Amino acid sequence: MTIKRSITTGLFIIGTTAVLMAGDVTGKVSFSGTAPAAQRLRMDADKVCARAHKQAVLSEEVIVNKNGTLKNVLVYVKDGLAGKKVDAPKSKAILDQIGCIYTPRVLGVMVGQELEILNSDPTLHNVHTLSKANKPFNQAMPMKGMKLTKKFDKVETFKVKCDVHPWMGAYIGVFNHSYFAVTGDDGSFTLKGVPAGEYTVEAWHEKYGTQTMKVTVPATGAATVEFTFAGK
Amino acid sequence: MFEKRAQTPVELRNYSTYYLIFSGILFLATVWSVWDEVITRRPWKDYQNEYNRLLVAKLTEKRLEALNTIDSSEVVRLGNELAAARAAKESVEYREAVDKKDTLLRDLDIATREWRFARSRSDAAYYTYQKAIKEGRDAAREKAVVDKHDADIEQYFKEMEDLNKQIAALDETINRYRDEVMRLEVEHAALFSEVSALDLKLERARRAPVQIRQVVLNDFEFTPFQEIKARVDRCQTCHAGWAEPLMEDAPHPFAQHPLPELLSAHNPETFGCTPCHRGQGPALTVGFAHGYEDKFWETPLLKGVDVYATCNTCHSSESVLKHATPFTKAKQLIMENGCYGCHGVKGYDDMPKIGPPLNELLAKTTPEWIYSWVKEPHDYNPNSRMPSFEFTDEQAEAVTAYLVSISQESTYRPMRARGTYAGGSGAAGKRIFETVGCVACHVVGGNTTVRDARGTSYDIAPELTRLGSKVNPDWLFDWVKNPRNHNPEARMPSLRLTDAEARHIVAYLMSLNDTNAPDRRTLDLANPEKIAQGDRIIREYGCAGCHTIKGMENEGKVSVDLSDFGRKKVEQMDFGNTRELRKGSDVEYQENPDGTVSLLRTWSAWVYGKLKNSRLYKTDRIDQKMPVYNFSEEEIKLIRMFLLSMTRDVPLPTYQRTFDKRQQEIETGRRLTMRYNCMQCHNIEDRGGYVVPIYEEEAMGPPILTASQGAKVQEPWLYSFMKSPSTIRPWLDIHMPTFPLTDDEVTIVTKYFLGLSNQDLKLRDYSATPIDQKYFDPGRRLFETYQCARCHPSGPVRAGELTAAELAPDLTMAANRLKPEWIIDWLEDPQALQPGTRMPTYFFDGQGPDRTIFDGKADEQIQALKTYVWSLGRRQQTAQR
Repeated sequence: MTIKRSITTGLFIIGTTAVLMAGDVTGKVSFSGTAPAAQRLRMDADKVCARAHKQAVLSEEVIVNKNGTLKNVLVYVKDGLAGKKVDAPKSKAILDQIGCIYTPRVLGVMVGQELEILNSDPTLHNVHTLSKANKPFNQAMPMKGMKLTKKFDKVETFKVKCDVHPWMGAYIGVFNHSYFAVTGDDGSFTLKGVPAGEYTVEAWHEKYGTQTMKVTVPATGAATVEFTFAGK
Repeated sequence: MFEKRAQTPVELRNYSTYYLIFSGILFLATVWSVWDEVITRRPWKDYQNEYNRLLVAKLTEKRLEALNTIDSSEVVRLGNELAAARAAKESVEYREAVDKKDTLLRDLDIATREWRFARSRSDAAYYTYQKAIKEGRDAAREKAVVDKHDADIEQYFKEMEDLNKQIAALDETINRYRDEVMRLEVEHAALFSEVSALDLKLERARRAPVQIRQVVLNDFEFTPFQEIKARVDRCQTCHAGWAEPLMEDAPHPFAQHPLPELLSAHNPETFGCTPCHRGQGPALTVGFAHGYEDKFWETPLLKGVDVYATCNTCHSSESVLKHATPFTKAKQLIMENGCYGCHGVKGYDDMPKIGPPLNELLAKTTPEWIYSWVKEPHDYNPNSRMPSFEFTDEQAEAVTAYLVSISQESTYRPMRARGTYAGGSGAAGKRIFETVGCVACHVVGGNTTVRDARGTSYDIAPELTRLGSKVNPDWLFDWVKNPRNHNPEARMPSLRLTDAEARHIVAYLMSLNDTNAPDRRTLDLANPEKIAQGDRIIREYGCAGCHTIKGMENEGKVSVDLSDFGRKKVEQMDFGNTRELRKGSDVEYQENPDGTVSLLRTWSAWVYGKLKNSRLYKTDRIDQKMPVYNFSEEEIKLIRMFLLSMTRDVPLPTYQRTFDKRQQEIETGRRLTMRYNCMQCHNIEDRGGYVVPIYEEEAMGPPILTASQGAKVQEPWLYSFMKSPSTIRPWLDIHMPTFPLTDDEVTIVTKYFLGLSNQDLKLRDYSATPIDQKYFDPGRRLFETYQCARCHPSGPVRAGELTAAELAPDLTMAANRLKPEWIIDWLEDPQALQPGTRMPTYFFDGQGPDRTIFDGKADEQIQALKTYVWSLGRRQQTAQR
């Protein structure tokens, strides 16, 4: 027992040292070409949804930011982490249903991390995951303020939909590490504290698919990656 | 020589040279025999050693992985706490308590001892005292002694009690320290529990003995002499990893069995391996065990899809096996192609003929069309199930003459006056044809989605791409209105078309013309000789095996019985003029550039050649009558596997699946659903639903009939629905057509669905189900809170409310359609009953979302919802009355 303990402690120390030799991978996702005009979402079918919005609601499938970058792109380390171990964070990820829209539309979680799904609308939503590797679920949330807590145990990116409101859709990426990020209003992303080494970084967009890049994270300092998606 | 021998005394002769030579030979032979026994004939030892090495490597890897997933911060934290807890045991308080306890325990021992001595002394004094009384002496002195000892007892007992109390108090302190250490040790060990479990497995793998592993089946089957024969399977000696999930992707022979779910019903530890895989069970070298090197072994290991052939030895009465898709597909091929029309096929001899009756052909088509069809059906419909008989012009003409002659005696009359068909719109007809459900069975033009989903080389219903050049419109109108008017046994259902709709359809289909019109040759059809020749040909080629033909009602099967074909010897097979492929050739069948075919001389190659081209073995002397099929490569192999399964070797009943009443009912139902092509639209038993891919949304297609269908709908409802379908999902374009099922056939369907749900047909008055007032009101409130009506509208659906695919059936139908128990199961977990359904789960961990009703208790809330839903239709009925 003592030997085992000291080995484990040793591994832990080595692990910690490796993590210390790490840097951030930063970059941005640009968009070229013309973006499709965003469709207006018709929410007349549910008055609660329609009333929640004062202005016209547009589809969030493709959002090109003012600086010519693409929003809602999931960027993550795809390959190169073999043997490097990351504990699941204790914090929860959150997926909210507000105004009959999923917020955020794209999010990443770690295997074993808790995902809290909220219903902030006084109407019926059902959360229907279309996952393949993880066991799919379809659960009703008929009341405002309801919470669901879920965990995923397989690496996969899948869609979540609501059958009551066909326009609603979100995407969840499940990873076995914490090096993932979703681009926001400025199209940039940061993968924090990636251990030094060589990696394949992938960017995924619900409409435009995936792109990969090779990146080397030096022992000290940071690395940058740039992606460009073209409109079709 | 003899003389010399006589002269030399025995003891003087020297044999040492011979002795040396022979002992040398003996020595070498001994060495060889030991070598052969231990090394040459035991290659399995190497396999097992290799397997154990592999297992140890995998376990070590897994152990390292497990070690890595342990939360290292947790290990450090617990380690620190444990060290602290252990250190705490060095504290003054603990040590003083322990020391004090030791002293007290010593005192307790002394007190206990003194207490016992006092009791003994008291007993002795008491005796003296009693003796004095008996002897009539004054016993006062003795009494005083007794009392003194009793006082001692009392005093020591108190002392003991006092000490015990003090010790207990100390124990509390001591245990506080000890428990803390123990708790942390357990927690610490729990972190390593997976690792320790793997350590145990590793230890076992390292110590695993190298030995023969065998399964003995004492009473598996009969010998040809009807004696019970045992089987011994030693396959697991080399295939050591068959049950080890770690060996999932290991190389052969160490890999895990690819179908663990299949093994749950056929445990190799009690069922052996050779009953399914064949091969020579007791042999211990690869070639002999697999049976290929032993030329006298009749049943070598089955390869590829052929392994499913052995399913039939026990499951011959079943046509669907859950874990054996190739087996199920093979049986489908046999049934759909009507092999039993010409051949005896055990278990299928009473199946109905697959082709249409040919007695009234002139009512729908022309003699020219009949002629060209008889000559080569695939010219008109390349995917027709009808095979090609490769008739000469003369033979085709004779067959046509016979069919035309019987047709002239027909009494068929259309239900409406001739000409009623006219006036439809082709465009409207096309729209109806494509939405109402015709496309589920019939292919038109390039739209082959359903054919592709089906994946067979033949269509189950005729392609209609050139129908305009085949049929006359009067017949077509009559046929689409009600197929059974022309053919009382027609399998095509009625789509309940109005006259106007039928006219549109006729207009559309008649516009589909064949560009290459049938041969306009003059046919000599009235000639009695021709008719007689046609009669002969039809009998000889067994047309009546698939078709009802007037005058041929008593024809038997024209070809060989296949019931023991799997055991036919290659020596009994005639390879005709084909060339022979060398033994050990990579391929078994090869088409040569000069048009000839080369084959291996094996059972397997012969069957392949026959199914590829049934006239392959034709010679000048030997004619071949089996028609030519267009089977795909996959289909040929599946049919061949089925033929391989046709043997009379059957294991003893204990090894067979019991084919009880329920199984029989299920099987009868399967055959009926196959006959009426239910699976073109519905997915039943995870098969079929071929029409669904034409819809963008799966929910817009016909519903899946899951295994719970029998538990879902009420039998009286199913009866009336099958007799005359009513609308359940008004938003669907495709309609359930009316199959003119007889009452018996409806019962078969009902029992089939019930059987799949493990239920029996019982008479039950569903309307007698009481409405429990306790649940009614909460049910109504829950129905509102849970917003059930959002997807389950009652009354007409307003356009634009929701897209059609999101809608769910009107719940006012529930009381007459659904079984109350099923509503409960459905509400509990819809996904379990129908994976992928849009109906969400409301109840988790025994709780419903609304905690104000029945304290959120799921089972109570479900009862309430069921009661309310059940009441919806009932109130409507009452109101109507």
